[in-house]
Amino acid sequence: MPTRHFPPVFMINFSALTKRYGPLEAVRGLTLQVDPGEVYALLGPNGAGKTTALRCLATLLKPSSGSARVCGVDGSVDPLGARRLIAFLSSSMGLYQRLSAKELVTFFGRLHGLEGVTLSRRVDEMVELFAIGDFSGRLCGKLSTGQRQRVSLARALVHDPPVFILDEPTLGLDVLSSRAIHDFIIRERARGKTILLSTHQMEEVDLLADRVGILRRGELVAEGSPTELVQRLGAPNLVRAFLALMSDWALAPGEGSA
Amino acid sequence: MSSVWWVVCRKELRETLRDRRTLFVMVAVPVLLYPVLLIGTEQLFLFGARNLRAETSPVAVVGDPPAVLLDLVDASETLVLTPVTGDLVEAMRSDAVTAAAVVGVGDGPDGTREVILLFDAASDRSQRGHTQLRRVVEAWRDTVLVRRLRDRGLPATFASPVALADSSIARPAEMGGYTLGRILPLLLVMMTVLGAFYPAIDLAAGEKERGTLETLLTAPVPAGAIVAGKFATVALIGMIAAGLNLASMLLTFQTGALQVTEAIGLEVGIPLASVALIFLTLVPLAVLFGAVFLGLAVHSGSFKEAQNALTPVYILALFPAMLPIFPGIDFGPLLAITPVAGVAFFFRDLMSGDASWGLGGLVLVSTCFYAGLALVFAARAFGSERVLFGGDEASDVPSEPWTSRFFKRAGPGRVPSREAAVAFVAAVAVLFFFGGIRLQIAYGETGLLAAEWLLLFVPALLFVVVGRYDPRRSLSLRAPRAQYLLAGLLLIAGGLPIVWLIGWLQSFVLPIPYELLEGLEELVTAQSWGRFFWLILILAITPAICEEIVFRGVLLGGTRTLDPWRVITLNGLVFGAFHLSFETVIRFLPTALLGALIAWAVYRTGSLLLGMVMHFLNNATIVVLTSWPVTREVLSDPEAVPPLWLVPVGALALVLGMLLLDRSTTSSLEQTADEAAAP
Repeated sequence: MPTRHFPPVFMINFSALTKRYGPLEAVRGLTLQVDPGEVYALLGPNGAGKTTALRCLATLLKPSSGSARVCGVDGSVDPLGARRLIAFLSSSMGLYQRLSAKELVTFFGRLHGLEGVTLSRRVDEMVELFAIGDFSGRLCGKLSTGQRQRVSLARALVHDPPVFILDEPTLGLDVLSSRAIHDFIIRERARGKTILLSTHQMEEVDLLADRVGILRRGELVAEGSPTELVQRLGAPNLVRAFLALMSDWALAPGEGSA
Repeated sequence: MSSVWWVVCRKELRETLRDRRTLFVMVAVPVLLYPVLLIGTEQLFLFGARNLRAETSPVAVVGDPPAVLLDLVDASETLVLTPVTGDLVEAMRSDAVTAAAVVGVGDGPDGTREVILLFDAASDRSQRGHTQLRRVVEAWRDTVLVRRLRDRGLPATFASPVALADSSIARPAEMGGYTLGRILPLLLVMMTVLGAFYPAIDLAAGEKERGTLETLLTAPVPAGAIVAGKFATVALIGMIAAGLNLASMLLTFQTGALQVTEAIGLEVGIPLASVALIFLTLVPLAVLFGAVFLGLAVHSGSFKEAQNALTPVYILALFPAMLPIFPGIDFGPLLAITPVAGVAFFFRDLMSGDASWGLGGLVLVSTCFYAGLALVFAARAFGSERVLFGGDEASDVPSEPWTSRFFKRAGPGRVPSREAAVAFVAAVAVLFFFGGIRLQIAYGETGLLAAEWLLLFVPALLFVVVGRYDPRRSLSLRAPRAQYLLAGLLLIAGGLPIVWLIGWLQSFVLPIPYELLEGLEELVTAQSWGRFFWLILILAITPAICEEIVFRGVLLGGTRTLDPWRVITLNGLVFGAFHLSFETVIRFLPTALLGALIAWAVYRTGSLLLGMVMHFLNNATIVVLTSWPVTREVLSDPEAVPPLWLVPVGALALVLGMLLLDRSTTSSLEQTADEAAAP
């Protein structure tokens, strides 16, 4: 399936997105855009609304107001259309323990409407791309964390979408496996893919992100390239810049319910 | 492109069939357990019986036995005459003798001799000894009788003018079906439902727990198709479990391995034509529980949580399946449309060969209808992001310790939390159930009076005092206005005949045990004025105060934050359940309705006193009606049709009462809301 191009619109476009859970406002008026071929990292403490924002974009959650669009497709209007354009990778990986790696990728290929020769060719491609061949017949429950992460990526990319949403993709991975993910992100950016990821790892942001958005209590409080942010806040590095932005929050821990 | 639901279903089936737990319940249990269990039980029984038969029974014959009797005992192959020195009962307790005959002194040649047979009814060996000894004594009696008749020149048949014998016309197959039909429905329903149990948990809660649901829902397929695929899997597994169980059971019985049933003259076998039908009735059942379990399990965050939530539902579902075990319940349209019970009863009738096709159709249609409802409910749960991802974001928020839920809202004006109120009522119910019964057994009516005050009223007061709750708010202690009281009067006056009608209708499904009626009549019927006032005290005034303070006081006060329908339904159900005992299942529905009616009135007015007045009016009316001879006649006949004119009049009074209460409370409600909002 060829990569689609939508030149006039942003690949990812959050417009005044607000998401409430009862009285709790998890995301407040989030507006941000991501250009084609860009890697955008969302930073923020636990509970800042990163996962909620990504889930709204992935159409898992309905925005309370505002919108989240992928290639101009509004997920709350055409969820299936939006899902075809994204690869979603959650921190839990979401693998079926009692399916083999190959069965799993095939299953998701089917859900994306692939079948017959197209499906088996695409699955073989994924197996090769992520070097799953050695363990493609083994049940996912029996794989190592690194192997599972590779299967998880193959699962997410089987339909070759233009936009990747990665929710803490290196959570719980060792240095080597994290490195593999980083390489993968750099490679896919070179192929023109648009990537939105959330993370807690500052070095990951330094290494990968073209732009960074910092969320605090559901609000976007700073945005720019890592270098810009460091300069603007007069901090020696990104970690200090991040801490400076969080400092008034840290001083008032009683408000930590946002 | 193959349908999405089928893609999902195939994947789920593949995964489920790789799950050892599911496979065990679905295949191993039916295939192995039935034969092992049934044959094992039978072998054990046979083994025991053989042992008993081979054994001889040591017996004693004491008193003044004639030589003929002693000779007869001696001649018996199964009895061993054992001399007893010392206490006879002691000798029996120590198993030295199993049974004994104490023979009295004869009063002349034509007199009667008293013979007492001593045995231990709690011992199998003693019972056997008793039966054998009895046979010998009877043989001796017959010999004496024949001799006496012969001495007078009379034939032996002289003393037996009628020879009586029982003979059942039931064909052996019917008899087997009849017996089996009572137990098999329960077993099969149990296994079918259990078959759907683990897959449902795994496919909903398990998927949430492992985080796979999130990835599944990012695929470009509608949630409905995913639910359909999962549901098809669960229902299919349930059906496979049902089929395997049925097959295994049939094989076990058909191979004739059960010598016991043959020995007692039962031909056990299920007609093959019925087997297909039985399976057909199990299909909608699997469908129903597949949907119910799936819809419930998706609300739980983990496998364990879902297991805890579903187990009570599973157990509850088995109750209707147990009904066919009880004799005397006829299968009618009402039972046919009762979930699970319909299937179980139709199954029972199929087994004994007199199933009604109309009822069978009704069972099929109604079960499919319930299954459809459950499916809609499950699909809605899967479409709800609150159910699927709710609380996930909030999990980042530091949570309070669970104990804080019992003690929160501290400070002046505080009311018990929902958890605290429910825990209190549960504790009091247990206390009342065990303590109250003991008090009643020991002290009769006084015990009942004491139980109400000591086990309901005092704990409720202690709860409020120890918990430092605001009594006025937590017990709804607001003085009722005059209109409220009038409304309460109308509600009870209208409610009573309606509840009576419902009780009467219910008696078609659940017959009223006569012993209970007699007991109740004795309890609530006054023959004198003194007795009347006493009854009013123990049956009307006391429950009105003590039960109201617990149910419409603490329980309602603690659950007021729920939405009104839940408050009222919960209150009614708990009140009904509180009055439940083994003999009084029939009272559940009427009591629950009364409880809900009073709960609504107290909820609207914030006045517990109104609840007490209504409760008093209701109970006092019953005491008056059963004490007044004219009305007692009608009331004590359970089959008497309630005077139907009372029903529309009652309904009218009920509506009037509701309108009156509704109108007069709209203004005061805002006040209540203000109070509730106050810290």
